[in-house]
Amino acid sequence: MADQKEVKRLQKLAYDMRKKLLNLCGSYDGIVHIGGDLSMTDLLIGLYHHGLNVDPKDIKAPKRDRFLLSKGHGAVCMYIAMSLRGYFDYDKIVKTYAQLDSAYGMHPCKIQLPGVECSTGSLGQGLAIAAGMAFSAKQKKEPHRVFCMMGDGETCEGEVWEAANTASSYKLGNLVGVVDRNKQLMTSFDGDYMHLEPYADKWRAFNWNVVEIVGHDMTQIVDALDNLPSSTSDKPTAIIASTVKGKGVKFMENDLGWHAGALSKEDMDKAMADVEAGYAKIGGN
Amino acid sequence: MKVTFNFAGFLSARSVAGDTIMELGKNKKVWAITADVGGALKQFKKDFPDRYIDVGVAEQNLAGIAAGLALEGNIPFIFGMIPFMVMRACEQNRTAICYQDLPVRFIGTGGGLTSGGGSTHNAMEDIGIMKSLVNMTVLSIGDPNMVRDIMMLSIDYPHPLYLRLAQGKQDRMIYEPGKYKYKIGGGLTAREGKDATIFCHGEMVFEALEAASILEKDGISARVVDMYSIKPLDKDLALKAVKETGNILVLEDHLMDCGLASTLSDLFTDSGVYPKKFKRLGIPQIYAGFGSGEELRKKYGYDKAAAVAAVKKMVKG
Repeated sequence: MADQKEVKRLQKLAYDMRKKLLNLCGSYDGIVHIGGDLSMTDLLIGLYHHGLNVDPKDIKAPKRDRFLLSKGHGAVCMYIAMSLRGYFDYDKIVKTYAQLDSAYGMHPCKIQLPGVECSTGSLGQGLAIAAGMAFSAKQKKEPHRVFCMMGDGETCEGEVWEAANTASSYKLGNLVGVVDRNKQLMTSFDGDYMHLEPYADKWRAFNWNVVEIVGHDMTQIVDALDNLPSSTSDKPTAIIASTVKGKGVKFMENDLGWHAGALSKEDMDKAMADVEAGYAKIGGN
Repeated sequence: MKVTFNFAGFLSARSVAGDTIMELGKNKKVWAITADVGGALKQFKKDFPDRYIDVGVAEQNLAGIAAGLALEGNIPFIFGMIPFMVMRACEQNRTAICYQDLPVRFIGTGGGLTSGGGSTHNAMEDIGIMKSLVNMTVLSIGDPNMVRDIMMLSIDYPHPLYLRLAQGKQDRMIYEPGKYKYKIGGGLTAREGKDATIFCHGEMVFEALEAASILEKDGISARVVDMYSIKPLDKDLALKAVKETGNILVLEDHLMDCGLASTLSDLFTDSGVYPKKFKRLGIPQIYAGFGSGEELRKKYGYDKAAAVAAVKKMVKG
């Protein structure tokens, strides 16, 4: 069972991160993919601040865990999670986000921003790339893991299942797929057109080790990350995290429009108040 | 007489690429990976099983895995049939590999209309598609020793590289082994001549050389230039031939609209050095259908007889 002091620390970070996301959403002129950012905020905090063995001061360390953001439109969420860990300066992200020559683009680019493991943004491509990295680590007998964060919508892409098939066939126990299962695509809900259930069973049928959690429950996130099978085990692991798109901001939750957007000062204040209230509810200050 | 023959024999026929990857495999960074087209890799998977991957029929996934391997400092060689390697995985090739400028090697067999499989398996758009990808290098090679040399020197090349082969096995030898030093970005004057130049690549070099021999008997001196590196292109070699011979024929087993002919047209336009006469022979805008490469080249008018006629017309008016 997760250490509750650690859970509290992570909850505080997730709270800070939501506020930083909303602040960016209120200051940047264009759109921010805020819905999917908020659905994976707790997961990214759990990863970058607890689960991943990484060192912001040594971004090329061979033994580091690798993290790929397959749902690349959530880039800003990753930048902020990384900035809270000491990789980047948050103010610089806010000042330059998605602008000409910025390192902090709408989708992450490893060439522009060292520390990013892989350029992503075209949906459904991350897991195969992560599998390639896992193949390399396994062949070199390196014990680190490769984590790949996917949105559930992008798992409509065939390449995801091609990679899932390969990863279990080759027993890539060092590969961990995390699915932000927010049950929304860009323009529809799961079930409107595409029916993704029985979702976890699909991963089981591909012979993956499956862990189902609530992706906003930090205790469950920590437990899932702490209890991963060894990287030399014979099955890749899928953490299917049930989440809410727009989590923490009432007027964004369950609203397709909030796949992405920008906030007026007034709405930003409203959103901030929701985040404050949500944090108070779980015992935050 | 009809003899028994099965697919296993066809797939495992010795190929120069399969032999060369054995030499390259001594380098621990080299991986051989395929989407169920690993016939030429029989020995590699025996000798280097931990650096061999077969993902089944899943080319997009394979391109992604190649990117992941390369991100970790490895040099993956993808072996595949051209249309699926190039087109099924086109976006992965672009975004996962070229965007990140990763040293992945694409070894594609069945260039042009040589596959015999009909339009699903023909490769007539590949050069156009691959050369339009930023950071991609594109070579089309007919001579087996050149294939070997280019594969060997690709080990130090830091960008993605596409190598188009014809059949990829038992291809005819064009050049005396060891006579030429090949390079990425190079071209080669395979035969000297002053009245016209035939630009070509891949197995069409053989056709062009035969055409030039026939033309010689008619008193026409045709130069043959093997533009085996289509991107980057040996511009000096190409423009020199234009200046010295004036009459230019491009002969290729590829759509005329987006292969070497259009690459050279772009060069002439950009440089302001124009041929006196310019003619291109290759695949027209058509799905070519069934038949051997030789039969189809004849049907669509880009075999050696067509080349001879085109050069004669240019030179003698």
